[in-house]
Amino acid sequence: MSVPDALRVRNAGIVYAQILLIVGLTLACALTGRPSYISGDNVANLLEQASLVAILAIFMTVVLVSGNFDLSVGSVAALAAAVSLGTIDEHGIWFAAALALLSGLAVGLVNGLIVQFVGINAFIVTLGTLTGVRGLVLILTDGRTITVAEDRSFDALATIQGGFWNVPLMAIGGAAALCVAAVLLARRRRVGRDVVLWLIAGASLVGLGLVGDVTFRYAKTVYYLLVLTVVVWAVLRFTVVGRRLYAVGANAEAARLSGINVARYKIMPFVLSGLAAAVVGILYGAKLSAVNPTALQGTELEVLAAAILGGTSLFGGSGSVVKSVIGALFLFTIANGFNVLNLGANYQDLIEGVILIAAAATYTVASRRKDSPPSAPAPEAAAPIAPAATRPQEVLNG
Amino acid sequence: MTALLSMQDVRKQFPNGTVALAGVDLDVQPGSVHGLVGANGAGKSTLIKILAGALTPTGGSVAWQGEPVTWRTPADAQTSGVATIYQHIPLAPTLSVLENVFLARRGWRRKPRELEGELAALSARLGYAVDPYALVGDLAIGARQMVAILQALAQQARLVVMDEPTASLSQGERQVVFDAVRRLSADGTAFLYVSHFLDEVLDLTDRVTVLRDGRVVADAPTAEFDEDRLVRAIVGKDLLRATREPSPEPSDGEPPLLEVERLASPGRLNDISFTVRPGEIIGVAGLLGSGRSELLHALFGADPDATGSVRVAGRTVGRSPGSAMDCGMALVPEDRTRQGLFADFEIWRNVTITSLPDLATLRRTVPDRERERDRAREAIAKLGIKAQGPESVVSELSGGNAQKVVFAKWLFSGARVFLLDEPTSGIDVGAKADIVELVQGLAAEGAAVVVADSEFEELLGVASRVLVLRRGRIVAERRAADTSEHELVLLASGRNDKEVNGVRA
Repeated sequence: MSVPDALRVRNAGIVYAQILLIVGLTLACALTGRPSYISGDNVANLLEQASLVAILAIFMTVVLVSGNFDLSVGSVAALAAAVSLGTIDEHGIWFAAALALLSGLAVGLVNGLIVQFVGINAFIVTLGTLTGVRGLVLILTDGRTITVAEDRSFDALATIQGGFWNVPLMAIGGAAALCVAAVLLARRRRVGRDVVLWLIAGASLVGLGLVGDVTFRYAKTVYYLLVLTVVVWAVLRFTVVGRRLYAVGANAEAARLSGINVARYKIMPFVLSGLAAAVVGILYGAKLSAVNPTALQGTELEVLAAAILGGTSLFGGSGSVVKSVIGALFLFTIANGFNVLNLGANYQDLIEGVILIAAAATYTVASRRKDSPPSAPAPEAAAPIAPAATRPQEVLNG
Repeated sequence: MTALLSMQDVRKQFPNGTVALAGVDLDVQPGSVHGLVGANGAGKSTLIKILAGALTPTGGSVAWQGEPVTWRTPADAQTSGVATIYQHIPLAPTLSVLENVFLARRGWRRKPRELEGELAALSARLGYAVDPYALVGDLAIGARQMVAILQALAQQARLVVMDEPTASLSQGERQVVFDAVRRLSADGTAFLYVSHFLDEVLDLTDRVTVLRDGRVVADAPTAEFDEDRLVRAIVGKDLLRATREPSPEPSDGEPPLLEVERLASPGRLNDISFTVRPGEIIGVAGLLGSGRSELLHALFGADPDATGSVRVAGRTVGRSPGSAMDCGMALVPEDRTRQGLFADFEIWRNVTITSLPDLATLRRTVPDRERERDRAREAIAKLGIKAQGPESVVSELSGGNAQKVVFAKWLFSGARVFLLDEPTSGIDVGAKADIVELVQGLAAEGAAVVVADSEFEELLGVASRVLVLRRGRIVAERRAADTSEHELVLLASGRNDKEVNGVRA
């Protein structure tokens, strides 16, 4: 019982897996005389590779928490890439980006409205839009690769996507920790052990960051990912909106009868997911300055795999954005490990598949161990709650 | 005569230390109908699971036809000749009756002709005709119950364990099940009949065993029991008359808190008007399908097709549960697992879901978890919820405690109009008394309460006025003091239409 709940395997399995994987790869690199695995360059590389899928995984998690499913993200991203690159030369970056975002929003809205108001299973609806939107990409591109011609287009695309930012992440993290300490202190009006820990951690990070002038040089998309993760995590974790989202995913009917506008909480995640897919599409197109009609095909499965590795339930009501992002990192770490160690790339898919199932099995078994033996005071209490369809004329009736 | 089944000092202790059965003796004679009763948590479910082979006892012995046996899997028990029919009948809804009845049959090839003949024979034995090729999913619950009994017969069961077989059945369907049980027991099949319905148990069984806290507290031929004695054995004390105290009628002068005018919904409700004053408890009496739940849902704004007006303290309620909540309404729905609770959430997240902004900082957007937990602690103390604390997950609670959590959701939401749909269904006597007390307390504090219930006796115990609902219409209104269960049943079932028409249409 001494292990806090948040650190147990069923809650933090992906974190342990990621740590083990990195330690393993680092050791393997060291033993085979290769350059250090956790070198700044390799980490920066890895983060950049994973960032687009990880952004999608954030919003896939939101959709999954609400009790739905979005298979269309890969196609929507490709559509956004095609739309933005197809219009940028003529109309400029703002128009191109707005149109791409609008197309993502539209597909998300269509997904959400059909799922919610026609009542078709989200799997089917988004399988349909996955196919249909890909078809739309083919029509728009006429099956050819779209490229950018104008110099100012290249420049504009480079502004949003290319290059790196140097950010004193350590100092920022430390400042955040100090803020947490301040909030805790203000709310409780006494100095607890956790406040002290936050203070020490915050102060030392800020100190180290400033004194050592530690900055991190990552691709811009990595920072987009970072900000989105923190924002969505905070909304889900701390706000009324987040709590209601989990409630709607856990039991939509109970949520409706608790006064929650269920339709809104079912549709919004699709819209956000569509928008996020459009953002990813724009970034993807910007990076390559070209997009072919089959771009990002199959991405949706990678994104889902990341969310599942992060322990998100496919049935709604539970899941964590941060863990899904780590899930995405995990997938790319495996791929990256194969590269670095020069193992046969042919084995990669097999290994990833095995790991996905093993991860799901770990979560399932770990939570089963929690459920049985019954931990409730009475054995009957461990059984499902008596259904209300029963109307026993009970013993009080004379 | 050797007992068909004989349990000696059977014990079950779970690894976490919970003692579910503390030494139970039970003898079931061949061809008898043996009643098993007890409050929720008395150990009935554990006993049934042991008989079904789903749990193994941690002590004592079980003998089957005089031979000691140990059933480790449900298949073991079935092979011996014990068939268990659970409350939620585990049939395959997409398969036909025939396929379901012979689901456990081994062999490579199905021979439909042979099976059809066999089914006809079984169904003749049962005295119940059934279409072998009807899909089980299309059948009414009562007919599914019969399919489950046929399945038990097909397995050549000598003992059929039935867990609350009639809980969701209509009166007519119940009669069919009773006839089947009587007929088969005369034929030599023994039944262990587990039920909350004491009149059924007294009527149907030859012998009754009463469990309380994992022990047998009474075991005698049914003829030696009457309902009073049975209740005392189950509860262990005399609390039965405590609730028969109709709520006082509020004074006439006060303006109504809830006003309903010409409320209707196509195919569900027709022209319903009534008012409820603060402090008043109104009963809605109606049989299954009368529109009880539909009425409460329409009042709560949860029926988008509804027309007419609902006002709380003069304020019109819009067509959404959110609007009803803003007007101070609360709904405790009929099916608490499906409609009332978030089973995987802790008590605190369930209790505060209706009042999150009130417990939130930063312009009511960020819920304060400490205050939420305090709220849950308060609810646990106030309602006497038996749980380890606010962190307990609701799916681990018993029916009565889960229902209290549903109430707790609304107690702190500032609600003044409470709509309660079968608030005491499927919960044990102790929790039932708590909830009746709670409802009376709400009224005493000035709330308007509407209770829908299919148990009219119980309704008369709490309500001061009763509206009788039939086919979506109010067919009569009675003061609780002036009516009886008998009259309400007549009115609600429409058996005596002439009399009813004279009253109020």
